[in-house]
Order: sequence, then C-alpha cells, then structure tokens
Amino acid sequence: MGRAELRWNPSDPKDPGPLIDIVIMNSPEVIAAGRLLGLEYPEARPLKALIDTGASITVISKRFATFCKLFTTSEGSEIRTLGGSYRCGEHAASISFPNTNLHSISSICVFSGDFIKEPRDACLVGRDILRNWRITFDGRGKLVIIED
Amino acid sequence: MATIPFSNELLVFQQNRDEWLRSSLGKFVVIQDSVVAEGFFDTYSEALKAGIQKFGVGRGFLVKQVWMTEPVYFVS
Repeated sequence: MGRAELRWNPSDPKDPGPLIDIVIMNSPEVIAAGRLLGLEYPEARPLKALIDTGASITVISKRFATFCKLFTTSEGSEIRTLGGSYRCGEHAASISFPNTNLHSISSICVFSGDFIKEPRDACLVGRDILRNWRITFDGRGKLVIIED
Repeated sequence: MATIPFSNELLVFQQNRDEWLRSSLGKFVVIQDSVVAEGFFDTYSEALKAGIQKFGVGRGFLVKQVWMTEPVYFVS
C-alpha cells in the first residue's frame, strides 16, 4: 500500500491547499512508439499539483502539456468553472508521485487548459485520480493522508 | 485558414454516433482521418494502445468515449 502525507493549513489564506509532488510525461507506449520514429521527449520535470476534490478531471496548463510534448487525443472538450467555460485539449499521460510510494498511473487522459493567474506548470489533481485513493484530512493536525 | 484539430475525426464520430450509441454506449473509439480502428474499448488506456498499434504516433488520433451528448467537466 502506498502512502503520502501532505501538510495543509486551511486557516491560512495563503495556503493554496494540499500540494503533492507529481511527474507527468507521455505514457510508456507513446514514448516507445515515438522513439522508433526518432522522436525525442524532454526529461521529466516534477511540479507541485493541487489536490482538488472539486475537479472532476485532472488538468494541467497548456504550456506544460506543450513542454512535455504530450500526445494529444482530442481537442475542444468543455470545462466549466466559476469563471466561465473553456475549451481544452486531451492528452495521454503517465503520472507518478515522487517522494511518495503511491502507485504510478501508466496511462490516463489529462486535460490541458490556460491557467490565468497561475505559474506555467500548474496542475490540478482531480477526482479521476482521487477515486483510486483513500484520503483522510486531519484538520487539527493540518495533515492530509493519502493511501492507495 | 487554420484547420481545426481533429475536425475530420469528429465528423466521423458524429456521423456514426447514433449507431455506436446503440451498440457501444460508454466505450471508447479510436479514429484517425476517416479511418476507425477496429473494435470498441472499455478504457481510455486500452483505446490508446489500440490507436498506437493501428496508427502509430507520427500523427495524432482521436480517442473518444461514446456518449449521447458531449460531456462537460466541472472544475471548482
């Protein structure tokens, strides 16, 4: 069983929420097929992702999807937020969680959109991933515990 | 004029949607240009593998789940 502990102080307005280290890259099948064609892929670059129970899907910034050369499998899907409705891309990705022993996901669809006030490598981990985990929030201890 | 990504594939999907709804609701289909990969797939991962096997990764292919209406994803 994998496990991760994330600090989160919900009383601190500057604390964005529980953040987890994440590595997103092309799925192994895409990389293997691409290399046969001579395609090159960038080294994995870890980033901090926000655990977001309000997101039904996992979303990354379009710039990061482009940087990773993620394989695109659809365009134009609709995401709705409080701020409006946006069109996004869909990409085949593999996801791992460095500094934890949570299991990696070898192939999942992630969505890319333009994060307006966020750094270029923004990521929200949505319920498509969270549904695989048991998540406990210890409010007094300011701790989020994830087990898979 | 720039072409819309996957416009051909989405057109093929629209043209076949009614038939696929009857036979394969909720399953995934893989399309490149007007060519549909054989079979329907239970998961995105299976569809991706089938698409790579059929089309390679030199150009993109569409992976789409068969639903009656286009899904809307919520992020709050």
